[in-house]
Amino acid sequence: MSANRPGSGEDTGSVKNGSMERNSSGALLDIRDLHLGFRGYTGYTKVLHGISLSINRGQRVALVGESGSGKSVTARIVLGLLQETRTARITGDVEFQGNDMSSLNASQRRALRGTRMSMIFQDPTSALNPVFTIGYQFTEVLRRVDEKLSKEAAYLRAAELLHTVSIPDPARVLDAYSFQLSGGMNQRIIIAMALANSPSLLIADEPGTALDVTVQAQTLQLMHDMVATHNTAVLFISHNLGVVREFADRVYVIYRGRIVEEGATQSVFESPGHAYTRALMAAVPRVTGGGIPDIDDESADFHDPCFTHDSPIAGTES
Amino acid sequence: MSAILSLKGLNKVFGRGRSAVHAVKDVSLDVAQGECLAIVGESGSGKTTLANMILGVIPASSGSIELNGVALPHKRTLEHRRAIQLVQQNPLSSLNPKRSVGASVRLGLDVYEIGDRADREGKVEAVLSDVGLDPELRKRSPAALSGGQRQRVAIARALACDSRLIVLDEPTSALDVLVQARVLRLLDTLRREKGLTYLFITHDLSVVRNIADRVAVFNAGSLVEFADTETLFNSPQQDYTRQLISAVPVLSAEELNFRSALQSREHKE
Ligand SMILES: Nc1ncnc2c1ncn2[C@@H]1O[C@H](COP(=O)(O)OP(=O)(O)O)[C@@H](O)[C@H]1O
Ligand SMILES: Nc1ncnc2c1ncn2[C@@H]1O[C@H](COP(=O)(O)OP(=O)(O)O)[C@@H](O)[C@H]1O
Ligand SMILES: [Mg+2]
Ligand SMILES: [Mg+2]
Repeated sequence: MSANRPGSGEDTGSVKNGSMERNSSGALLDIRDLHLGFRGYTGYTKVLHGISLSINRGQRVALVGESGSGKSVTARIVLGLLQETRTARITGDVEFQGNDMSSLNASQRRALRGTRMSMIFQDPTSALNPVFTIGYQFTEVLRRVDEKLSKEAAYLRAAELLHTVSIPDPARVLDAYSFQLSGGMNQRIIIAMALANSPSLLIADEPGTALDVTVQAQTLQLMHDMVATHNTAVLFISHNLGVVREFADRVYVIYRGRIVEEGATQSVFESPGHAYTRALMAAVPRVTGGGIPDIDDESADFHDPCFTHDSPIAGTES
Repeated sequence: MSAILSLKGLNKVFGRGRSAVHAVKDVSLDVAQGECLAIVGESGSGKTTLANMILGVIPASSGSIELNGVALPHKRTLEHRRAIQLVQQNPLSSLNPKRSVGASVRLGLDVYEIGDRADREGKVEAVLSDVGLDPELRKRSPAALSGGQRQRVAIARALACDSRLIVLDEPTSALDVLVQARVLRLLDTLRREKGLTYLFITHDLSVVRNIADRVAVFNAGSLVEFADTETLFNSPQQDYTRQLISAVPVLSAEELNFRSALQSREHKE
């Protein structure tokens, strides 16, 4: 393991220490009762109805649910991006390393991204800028924590990091553009960049969904190994239960803006407590056969049947 | 087993000279009447190119395509076009947003001049209910429907012309898992009830296992393995096929065991 960890300590300048005593659990990320709504032409639409979720240091936590359930908006709030959207109304607590995110201004939030927290999105090729070489973009990433880093030093460091993600010819790749490389290669580069500053939290929103299954499987395994080496915690967002099962230590299941179930991955998968989790699992076709899953009722509302013992939700609002 | 569709030595080369792409390489296969034949392979393996040649959207560079034993010309007649229908991955882009759902489904009936006006309206309502949609939805715009409803409209459109052969190009890949299960079940039921033949293109091996009778595996434009579904999954002959199957993310202990068995076989050979 070659990385020194420039961006990972609590002592890194620009962000003031918030109310540490509130974060008694010692969680790296602690989200409590998060609500989100959007103001629009047709009125106010609620999207998150009181989400609570926490991640410890080095832990891999998955947020799984169908499209539109509120996964990406949750990620964007943690990253401090949705706070810039004028129509969004956010309430609740988000604490990162003991700092209350709502007490930060836009530039303080920006200072966190790419340093103490970083992100990986769905499509590696569109995440990289086609106009600049990989080496140029890598240098920009490294300069987020060390402004004065020389180009030569940055290239050396980048080559080292590309080597750790099994890129055989880093020098050639640094001089290339993303469109000259395969999707799998770009995904490896993205992983290396996202971990370059050894962030304490990585947010991966449907990573590699745009890639082929074989490449996706390989790069997920790589990401799994790399976060372990960097001791980086992950908020892993996915709609694919199989992928979640292979990647995460802990799982939160989100349904229409509410967490309906949480637990250790193995226990959630072996004995799902909530009807929605059970339906999701039953709906996945098995590679061992057994026929097309029989999912009834198009309009089933999983908030309706009562919540099970390990569901954190006490009641519903309309 | 009579073949509804026969591909004979089919090739497609895009471009020429040094920049030529040989997208489909010497593919021969028979699709049996009434079966669900899956075409699998990673992106770029030539699946969509193959479908486009079958549909007559692009001409083959060489080789022939026979429908019920008769070679199809490059320039298809209306009757040929009617005979093979298509359902695509993204129904929002394949359905014209300016046309109501009913008009989209009806279009084929108008173009191929099937029945008279009153018949056509009745047919539209009938196929919408065949795919589990309220016929009242025909007045809506596709944009006002959910992803699953749109895919049902695309299926209804393919059914409307009473074609026997339907090419499905990643029909459920963009759908959520619960919706996917319902659409897969619908497709399976329709095939059995109406005696349809499917050419089911997908990269999702766990879907294939549960819907297909036979599987054709494509790698870089070539057909590398062709077998009935049980045989292919239980004893894949090619490393490439084994890799595709073992890359499927799995949920259950049974699937994990299946995968380890597959991988250990790979290492021995
Ligand atoms: N900027 C926005 N303005 C209005 N609605 C939004 C905005 N961003 C997301 N939404 C809505 O919030 C809901 C949750 O979206 P998202 O978090 O992207 O879902 P997913 O779980 O698929 O990632 C969706 O209904 C989406 O339409
Ligand atoms: N119109 C075209 N012009 C040039 N190359 C093409 C064209 N269509 C497809 N190709 C190339 O043919 C190959 C097969 O593509 P495609 O049939 O779309 O694969 P798949 O559907 O299996 O992902 C790819 O290398 C692709 O880039
Ligand atoms: Mg999303
Ligand atoms: Mg394709």
